[in-house]
Amino acid sequence: MSLPIIRQLSAEQKKARHRKIWLVPLGFFLFEVIWMLWILTTAHAKELVTGYLMLFYQLPILNTVILSLMITVIASRLSDMEIKGDTLKLLYTMQRPAGFFDCKYVAGTKYLLFFTAGHGMLIPVYGKIFGFGTPLKISMLFSYLAVTLCTSMILLAIQQTLSLISNSQFLPLIVGLAGSFLGLFSLFFPAPVARLVIWGYFAAFPCVEMDWNRDTRIIQYNEVSFPLYAFFAFAAAGIFIYGICRTITVKKEV
Amino acid sequence: MSSVIMTDSLTKQYGSKKAVDRLDLKVPSGSIYGFLGPNGAGKSTTLKLLLGLIRPTGGHIMILGREVNPKNRLSILAKTGSLIESPAYYGHLSGKENLRIICTLKDVPFQEADRVLKIVRMTEQQNKKVGQYSLGMKQRLGLAAALLGSPDLLLLDEPTNGLDPAGIQEMRRLICSLPEKYGITIVVSSHLLSEIDQMATHVGIIDHGQLIFQDSLASLHEHSKSRIILHTDNDPEALKVLKQAKIPAGRRDGKLVLRAQKDALVAEAAAALVHSGIGVLRIYEQQMSLEDIFLHLTGKQVSL
Repeated sequence: MSLPIIRQLSAEQKKARHRKIWLVPLGFFLFEVIWMLWILTTAHAKELVTGYLMLFYQLPILNTVILSLMITVIASRLSDMEIKGDTLKLLYTMQRPAGFFDCKYVAGTKYLLFFTAGHGMLIPVYGKIFGFGTPLKISMLFSYLAVTLCTSMILLAIQQTLSLISNSQFLPLIVGLAGSFLGLFSLFFPAPVARLVIWGYFAAFPCVEMDWNRDTRIIQYNEVSFPLYAFFAFAAAGIFIYGICRTITVKKEV
Repeated sequence: MSSVIMTDSLTKQYGSKKAVDRLDLKVPSGSIYGFLGPNGAGKSTTLKLLLGLIRPTGGHIMILGREVNPKNRLSILAKTGSLIESPAYYGHLSGKENLRIICTLKDVPFQEADRVLKIVRMTEQQNKKVGQYSLGMKQRLGLAAALLGSPDLLLLDEPTNGLDPAGIQEMRRLICSLPEKYGITIVVSSHLLSEIDQMATHVGIIDHGQLIFQDSLASLHEHSKSRIILHTDNDPEALKVLKQAKIPAGRRDGKLVLRAQKDALVAEAAAALVHSGIGVLRIYEQQMSLEDIFLHLTGKQVSL
């Protein structure tokens, strides 16, 4: 007998009451709102012509740090209540460990979806406010959102696993913090090494490249074709990583 | 009496160490089964095996007449409640909110939370955050959670651990009332012999993962054969006299003991000693305590 998923999700919803988990993505989102505002208000008029390209180049880099940290905190907030309250030995008598892991993951993904959707609305809004010279390419926006969401979901699986198998949240938080900075630095690593750092994948599928002229000190953003097949391969690897994470959590005896 | 739990050669091995070794449990329906053993004997591991929280290395488990396997585990456990090691709770939620989560997972109406809160006498504290509860209140909430959905079987692992004497008494009273009021079979583990003696109708004693005794509590008490102790003003001389009179006697723990308990023999022994001029100070019957039996069975000291 398998417990209906809707009841398990409803239980997750009830557990999150009074935890104010919404404040985490909201806080990080507000940070990005302010950061984008600062970038756009300090940009030259010439740069604002290609404002969307500038944002699609800079946001993924910022996400390697910001989103990695946000995901770490969300996973920890959702999982540490189970560890602190020693609830797994009770929950596993009512639901399958794999089902529990899936529902916990869905509960975390919900915040990522709203965060990503917020980005999806914020970018065109800023485009209107600052009067970007070139129109927004919807395909570019969707590829940016797809990469952001896919990388976030893979990281969530990893962080959730660490948070559920650790007796304290210290290790997952350290891994998340270290991962976010490693992700940022991985952008300067040789490609084969950078491929090993999952936190860096927010910026690993660029649809914009930057050309900085050392002599004129002019930055120019150019559109490049989105590496679709590489992204699909990454998404497939993500499903595999999720499977591994789930197996590790399920195998842990409580 | 049918068995609610039956295990056949249940074994759990960690590396080369057998935490549970070929256990054949039989828990009669409607009983309070005291699962007794020293710390580290394998009690919690056994209960976790019964709940499917850990996978057995070998053996079979039957609960409520059905053999437990990974596929039917949850449907069988839907008719059970458990409180393993320490109470499970969400500290940021109130007692009632905690129970509502379990109601959702067990698919029982929220009114059930009110019913079980009443049983464990927690109605007044139901809206307080569990993080602010005392350990005794958390234990009672854990018991309330286990009672949701009117289970046929309760598995309670050391439910009085960490409680103060009043809390222990309260919990004991609650547990003892459940089979009669609600027809629930209860397995309660403890390393405290006195606790099991006051609660259980049946007893299983586990040591080093092996079941070394299993029967009714009355049967365990029957093991406590009494013996007649003689106190005289000269025990060595008294023993000689008794031996000469061919009365079965000996020394045990420094005391003069008659090996038979027939009244005629006791009278004969007393007469022989008095005739020999030995002063008989006291003659009394000493019952072997449960602790003595436990010591005899396990060879080790237990808490009392």
